[in-house]
Order: sequence, then structure tokens, then C-alpha cells
Amino acid sequence: MTLTPDKPKAKARKLSMKERYSALTRDLDWDPSYVPADEMFPYTTFEGIKIHDWSKWEDPFRLTVDAYTKYQAEKDRRLYAVLDGFAQSQGHLSLTDASYLNAMKLFLQGVSPLEYQAHRNFAYLSRHLNGPGPRFASLCQSLDEIRHAQTEIHTLSNYNKYYSGFHSYLHMHDRVWYLSVPKSFFDDALSAGPFEFLIAIGFSFEYLLTNLLFVPFMSGASFNGDLPTMTFGFSAQSDESRHMTLGLEAIKFLLEQDPDNVPIVQHWIDKWFWRGYRVTALVAQMLDYMLPRKVMSWKEAFELYFEQQMLGGLFQDLAYYGIKPPRDVGKAIQEKEHLSHQAYWILYQFSHAAAFTTSVPSDETLDWLEEQYPDTFPTYRALWDKEKKNVANGGRHFVRGLPQLCQVCQIPMGFTEADSPFTICQRSVVFEGERYNFCSDGCQNIFEHEPVKFRQAWLPVHQIYQGNCGGADLGDVMQWYGMQPGDGGEYLGSPDHQNWLRWHAQADHSELGED
Amino acid sequence: MTTDTGIDTGIDTGIDTGFNKVIERPEIRSIGAYDFPSRSAQELYGDDQLVHVWYDGNPWFVAAACFRAPKAMSFGDFWAALLVPYHEEDPDWLASWTPADFEWGLDDAPWTPDEGASLASLGVGHKSVIRMVKK
Repeated sequence: MTLTPDKPKAKARKLSMKERYSALTRDLDWDPSYVPADEMFPYTTFEGIKIHDWSKWEDPFRLTVDAYTKYQAEKDRRLYAVLDGFAQSQGHLSLTDASYLNAMKLFLQGVSPLEYQAHRNFAYLSRHLNGPGPRFASLCQSLDEIRHAQTEIHTLSNYNKYYSGFHSYLHMHDRVWYLSVPKSFFDDALSAGPFEFLIAIGFSFEYLLTNLLFVPFMSGASFNGDLPTMTFGFSAQSDESRHMTLGLEAIKFLLEQDPDNVPIVQHWIDKWFWRGYRVTALVAQMLDYMLPRKVMSWKEAFELYFEQQMLGGLFQDLAYYGIKPPRDVGKAIQEKEHLSHQAYWILYQFSHAAAFTTSVPSDETLDWLEEQYPDTFPTYRALWDKEKKNVANGGRHFVRGLPQLCQVCQIPMGFTEADSPFTICQRSVVFEGERYNFCSDGCQNIFEHEPVKFRQAWLPVHQIYQGNCGGADLGDVMQWYGMQPGDGGEYLGSPDHQNWLRWHAQADHSELGED
Repeated sequence: MTTDTGIDTGIDTGIDTGFNKVIERPEIRSIGAYDFPSRSAQELYGDDQLVHVWYDGNPWFVAAACFRAPKAMSFGDFWAALLVPYHEEDPDWLASWTPADFEWGLDDAPWTPDEGASLASLGVGHKSVIRMVKK
């Protein structure tokens, strides 16, 4: 028997983008009949959030798989062309200075692994949310996040051929003290329920704080000759705006579904603003201290991206739902004059145990900082003057021991009181017979709501003292961290600095010629 | 409160900042039983405990120090073996200084350490904060 192919029928009408999107989401959704809905979606009730009608979710963007892959492939092609050109032309030599790459080491070690974790959790949401619209939006974001992780790693891998500190970022992310700050932040979100994750990452991280977290790194790249990272930033930007609309739709959806959701969401906003804001301490010091060519000060960035755009814009809109600005926003505003100076002073005196280098800021930078922070920087400048004298006498300020850490944000407790801004802020509570220490009212408040969760915090200092980090002395711990000689410490005289001088001296000689 | 860019946030950030405040276990929302021990309980350190030392008024040290010390260690030994080696890295630290050159506090209360007494008998607990201020 032979099979004759069917005669071609009249060509089917091509569906519009909107129809294809609807077919992909709503048409692929069904009401379960073999099991009850709460068995199919077991994680969307325990947090206390009430959803009455998932169909009220308004899809913030309409994308189909073919459109998505087409856009992303075009962007990847452009990025890879830039990466090839930069590598072939020894583009790394045209950076402002080798010390600029400290910002990128921090980004690769601290931020890129979070993109991967975001990928995982959005994949989880794309399975476990009841509504087809938010499931598909989560799937798109999940794909974005793994692409971001991969392209960031690919973009920065070129520097690993020439510079220290880029080699073991994943190993370090899970172990090193300052990387426990972003890692524990994200682990906190991963171990929360799906709605808290949406507010923590979808809203607070990707909307409220995204311009403070992401833009400074990319602007820093553009001001300091790092064409590949800048191109990556542009490539990610269109995705980021999609993530922002998803975060905003998520919060509006939760608030509109039931008035009982409002206090729960308010607490998550309070918590995740402060958690995210504490992570931005790393960004603040990067902007003010690590970039050889400055973009803007942390204070300016905070005023523009947070005070004006979020407090002046977003929260005016959210007031309609009864949502107030985050409870500790006043402390963050007061700290804008201090945060970067305190954070860099932490990193400076502990950089012998880090995979980036630090140095006394140049006189030019000190003058710039004084212009940006006329009210507060003179006090910090006095510390740098003392350290300059110390260095001239053959010293270098590295702390000979371990610092007190905050139980929640895990940052060494170097932050100060609002009403006495040069006095360290010490907070503590006792829970079930054990004392816990905090850097701020914000971190204390978070602990008081979830003490059983936060008492499990893997605090690097405590783990070292328990003997869980390779051994008792610094060398053992550094080895366990995966650090190599030259990864951290002082920048001047470091392998990166010496190589940089050698490469540029060679280039200069070739241009000068024989005479 | 109002920001200096003129935005009224309408919030009050009051919190009980009592240093020895005891908190109760709040309601836990979870997918199952959720009760895990502290990852830094004193028992994990044997006969030792963690002790914080905060050199208040000296910004050279960006944060208080955290030491692991035997509960039975005398304050004099704690001073000589742990506290001084850490703090003498400050170029302004004088080798002649003794505990009598400082005013002391323990967990936010005034405190007079006796050099011969053990940390435990002086009331220093696990993760206590010893505060020192140069006279």
C-alpha cells in the first residue's frame, strides 16, 4: 500500500502576535481533573497570600518563544563580535587602569552567580504559579537570567587570561566572607515562598533597586574603557526593563487580589528593601573608590535612582493601595553621606583576605570625594591621612584578626548611628537563650520576624572559628577560599599593577624608537 | 519623616533598641515543620565562646573584633593574648597601655573588669559585646 501525501490545503491564515501569545499561554492552560488544584500547585497558599482570580493577572509583555529567541540571538551576535574585536586588539590595555578591574572582579564573584540563582527560581515559579500568564513571564525571565549569567562569564573570561582574581569565582562565591553578603541575600529569597520571592527579587531587586545595583557597574565600564562589559550591559537592558514590568505587575496583582495581602506585602517591602540596600554597600564603594574614572557619586546615584524615581514616583502610586515606603528608608537616606566611605574602609582593611585589591585613594580622588561629600568626608579623610603616614613608615593597615558580623546582612559591623554618625551602631537581641548581633535597626527588625531562619546563618567568621574553613590560620583559610597569591591585598606592587606598568612601558618604548 | 529632597515618607522607624531585649518565637509560615538550631550556638565551641570587643571612638578599626576565647580565661590573659595583639596594629596604640587606661562596658552597661577573674564570672556571655573607650 502506498501512502499518497494529502494535497496541500489552502494556506492557513497566519496568527497575529497577540493570537500566538494567547495560544501559547491561555490555550496551554487547563483545570486539573485527576488531582485537586492545590495538589498541583502546593506552594501558593502557605504564605498567607490570597489569590481569588489568576485570570486578573495582566501580562506585562507579550512574547512568544520564536520572537524571544530571535531577539536574543541578534543581541548575542552583536556582543560576541565586540568580544572578539576587543580580545584580538588587546583591548584590555586601553582600560583606564588595571585597578578598574577590581569592580569587575566583584561583579563576577558577587553578582553573576546571583543571575544563575535567579534563573533557577524563576524556572521554579514557571512551574508552580497557578496562572498561565505569570508562569510564562517567569519562564522568559528564567531564560534571561541564565543568558545573563553565561554572557557575563563569557564577557569577563577574557580578563582572566591577564589579571588575577577572576579564576575561581563560583568556588569563592560559596565560601568567601564578603561574598556571603550577596549569597546569603539571595539564599534568603530562594528559601522563601513563591510570592515572597516575587516581591524580594521581582519587585525589590529588579525594580526598586535595579538602577542602583546594575547601572553603576555598566556606566563604570563605559567610563573606563571596558567595551565588552558595556556592550553586555546594553544587551541586558531590554531584558531588565521586562523584568521591571514583571516586578511591578506582580506587586499590583497581589495588592489588588485581597486587602489581607497588603500588610504581608508591606512587610516584604520593608524586609527586602533593607536586605537589598545593604548589598548595595558593595556598589556604593565601587562607584566612589574603585573606578579610576568616576561616573557619579553614590550620593548622586542614590538621590536620582532611589529618592527621585522610587520615593518621588513609585511610592506615590503605591500609596493608592495603602503601601508605605520601606520602614528603614530614612536610615538609608541618612547613610548616603557615609555608606561608601564605611564600606571601602571595611574592604581596605580586610583585602588581604579578598580576591580584589585596594589602595589608599589618590589625592585627586580624595579631593573629588571632599567635593561630593563636603559635610562628612573630612572626617574620613583624616583616616586616610593617618594611613598614608602609616604606609610611609612601612606599614599597611590590614586587621590582624576577624571582625564582628551582622547576623542578617553578614557585613562586618562598620555602620554607624543615625543620630551620631561616627559611632558604630550596635544592636542585639536574645532569642531562646542565645544572643544575636546586628548592624542596624533594619537588620534587627528582619531577625525579629524570622529568628528561626536567621539563626541558621552561615556567618564566615563563626565558621572559621568552628574550624569549618580549612584551618585555624589565615593561610589555611585562603587556600580553602581558592585564593592564589596576588589575588588580594594592596594594589600597588601587586602582580596586576606590575604587569600593567610593564605592558605599558613596553608599548611606550616601541613608539619612542632607537633615539 | 521628610527627605532632604522634599519627599514625605510618612513613616516612623521606632524600634526597641534595648541591647538585652528577649524576643519570643513568632508564627512561622512554612510548607512543613520548621525548627532548626542555631549555626553558631555556644555548644559548637566547646569550652570556648565568641567575644566581641568594640573599641568605641577609634575609627581605625572599622568594626568590633570577634575572638574565640575560653570561658575560663582571665580578663588579664584575654587582654594580653587576644586584645592587645589585635589592637596594637593601630600606629597610635601605646605599648604602655593597660586596662586601667580605658573605661569599660559590657552589653551596653558600665562594667569594671577584674584582671584576675574569668570572663564567665565577669558576666561575659557568648557573643557579648565588650566596649572599651580610651580615658
